[in-house]
Amino acid sequence: MADDTTEHVLYAERPEWSDVVPIPQYENIQPLAPIFYTPEYKDATDYFRGIVKTGEKSLRVLQLTETIIRLNPAHYSAWQYRYETLIVISAPLEPELVLTNALTKASPKTYQVWHHRQLLLTALRDPMPELAFNEEVLKADAKNYHTWSHRQWVLAHFDQAELWAGELPFVERLLNEDVRNNSAWHHRFFVSFENGSKGGTGEGADEAVRRELAFVKGKIALAPNNASAWNYLRGALNHTHLPYSTQAAFVELYVVDAVDADADRVLDLENPPPSQGAQLPCLAAIEFMADVHEARGKEGISEAVKLWRSLAHTHDTIRKRYWEFRIRDAVANTSVA
Amino acid sequence: MSRPTPIDAYPTATSNLQADTENILQDHVPLEGGGGGCVLHKNRHLELLVRNLAQGFPARYVSQDASQPWLMFWTLQSFSALQIAIDPDTKQRAIDTIMQWQHPDGGFGGGSGQAAHLLPTYAAVCSLAIVGRHGPGGGWDQIDRCVMRLYRFDLYPMRRRDKLYKWYLSLKQPDGSFIVSNHGEVDVRGIYCLLVVALILDIMTPELVNGTPAFIASCQTYEGGFSSASHPHIFDGILAAQRPSLGEAHGGYTFCALASWVLLQPYISAGEDAPRVDVRRLLRWLVNMQGLEIELGGFKGRTNKLVDGCYSWWVGGAFALLEALGVSPHVPAPASAHEGETAKPAESGWNDADDSFFNRHALQEFILFAGQHPAGGLRDKPPKNPDAYHTAYCISGLSAAQHRVYPSPARREVVRAAWEGEDGVRAAAFAEALCWTEEDGGSYIVGSAANRVNATHPLFNLTITHAEGIMAHFYKQTVPKRPPKPSH
Repeated sequence: MADDTTEHVLYAERPEWSDVVPIPQYENIQPLAPIFYTPEYKDATDYFRGIVKTGEKSLRVLQLTETIIRLNPAHYSAWQYRYETLIVISAPLEPELVLTNALTKASPKTYQVWHHRQLLLTALRDPMPELAFNEEVLKADAKNYHTWSHRQWVLAHFDQAELWAGELPFVERLLNEDVRNNSAWHHRFFVSFENGSKGGTGEGADEAVRRELAFVKGKIALAPNNASAWNYLRGALNHTHLPYSTQAAFVELYVVDAVDADADRVLDLENPPPSQGAQLPCLAAIEFMADVHEARGKEGISEAVKLWRSLAHTHDTIRKRYWEFRIRDAVANTSVA
Repeated sequence: MSRPTPIDAYPTATSNLQADTENILQDHVPLEGGGGGCVLHKNRHLELLVRNLAQGFPARYVSQDASQPWLMFWTLQSFSALQIAIDPDTKQRAIDTIMQWQHPDGGFGGGSGQAAHLLPTYAAVCSLAIVGRHGPGGGWDQIDRCVMRLYRFDLYPMRRRDKLYKWYLSLKQPDGSFIVSNHGEVDVRGIYCLLVVALILDIMTPELVNGTPAFIASCQTYEGGFSSASHPHIFDGILAAQRPSLGEAHGGYTFCALASWVLLQPYISAGEDAPRVDVRRLLRWLVNMQGLEIELGGFKGRTNKLVDGCYSWWVGGAFALLEALGVSPHVPAPASAHEGETAKPAESGWNDADDSFFNRHALQEFILFAGQHPAGGLRDKPPKNPDAYHTAYCISGLSAAQHRVYPSPARREVVRAAWEGEDGVRAAAFAEALCWTEEDGGSYIVGSAANRVNATHPLFNLTITHAEGIMAHFYKQTVPKRPPKPSH
């Protein structure tokens, strides 16, 4: 592993590399829109082109590609050549994963570093520690797209019951930290409804949807103006083909103009009311109820139109054109039906 | 003062960041009467673009060393959108530079001597659409000679079909997807890039895209937008139709998936088991990506994330694509589950300047007020610095908000009628690609007329002229002239 504290010696000045002919990137042309490379980067990539040309795959290639990757983690050709070299020289992959851990933490937004992990994990077949590492990376950025899709790949690819087992408590922890983290909501959907049929959580679809509806309604009650939670509610219903009307009693509590101050009324656990701090009416609830009315057909249409109008003109004016489209569309569809 | 996003007296990391951003954006609204905020500073942006092109990119762009064709494409396409013609010498240098990136085994790499990769191949070919030409040294025929021979299949035997096509096939996965390079990852960006190039260069075949529509459809998430990829679930050797999406719905992936879906339409055969995309749910997700008035109506890329200028194109540009699936603000969407079938919008008027699924006025203001960096170049949002990527996609997004480009049935007929050769899926795909038309009188420009930028092809993000030019060459067709625009 390169030691960051020592001064970098150019490959051109290393005697053990004197047999390699470096190849400059551009010969015979003055490129348009060139990048002003640092001397270290130019040197390393010139030697890399030299290595690729001869096809050498050896231990020192690992050193060279690591230099390039540390300077530019998005250099996919260096990653690719490195992977091929690891396989050809039968290098042990455990230390490579340790190095990749450090590179992942340094550059968590790079496609290549995550894909390299996938290649290594596929070969090593030891996915359990990966979930803990992944959670560590999420601590630094709880919405990193790569980190989440990688976690989902680990679960789907290895599809082992013991991997899935900890996922609901894990994602609940993250949603407790930030109920508006849409990545965590998506992960919850993935775990609850898309967990395959082999490893999975082993529960039936009915059981899953009952649990998930209770969960998401509790989260909506906590902070009603949270698009992530409403999308989850819709997603769960669509996925299990439950009509939106099954949730009307709950959603009605969120279309009123103000929180009901009468806190002493009997608590309906199925339909948790908005928190005292809720800012009502909640536009996602208005939209939801409009959908409920629209689904009733002719009888419901005027009620739906009323709600869409209130979104277009008062509650969600930036999307005025969309709500007007919904009105035209619904009216056209009910009149021909 | 616009209303802030409600926090419900329950602040979290997301709502704190959101509130901070809303404050910063509000500081960029020009004071009443100060019309200066409504100006697109074309000259400042051009200065930056010229500097990048002629002198080069500063050392921090080393992180994009494997994306050099992208730096080129973003810069050239920004010029095109800003209505700036490139001089012949610069064009030649661009061509010579681009051809250095071509890999001997097919495709283009991120730089000279780099491995071929689907993304830079798109950027290189689209750059050649802008600066290239036929004939010696023009780029187009050098692609042909070294790599892609298919378009000359009348001259060459089929076994000498091109390396590009073979390379594409070598990347194909059993689930219909493609890896982006040898040992690379799968995602819908790569598939979009592959399909655009295959369509433009006339190497699209049913064999190449077999299974790809089902893969694209499987990336739609419960939110309605699309994720980066899906995971193939295989039971008893059979690929399941339901495949879990890897990652949440995201603006960039959604654009790529939707554009791919539109491109693939001529190759999808109708039937019970035909893959489906839920366009209603997609539309709902897309409109919800537009930020509130307090966010100046910019677009975000994911639910509960921040607005970012680049999504002006990835999300703002996606609405035009819906029209190819029969979903138009003028025409009610099909009510049945058979989304994306043959329903085509009628030629329709565009009398209401702001008649669209999204707020075109607000998006233009977001770009003008917050997207422009005072020193030139465009950006994610203040206080970020500008870069080549955001400059290109803010300008493309501005174009999408200014113009209505739609798939014209009349133009489709004209292109179809002029087709020479065997009528079939190839002819259909050609006409579908080139029927996109900028509607006369459909432009709506915030600020003075000098803010106008060129319309861009919704599928390729090239000007329509550039798209027609390169496709006519590779298909060996003559594209009928468009009627001259009436002066307004």
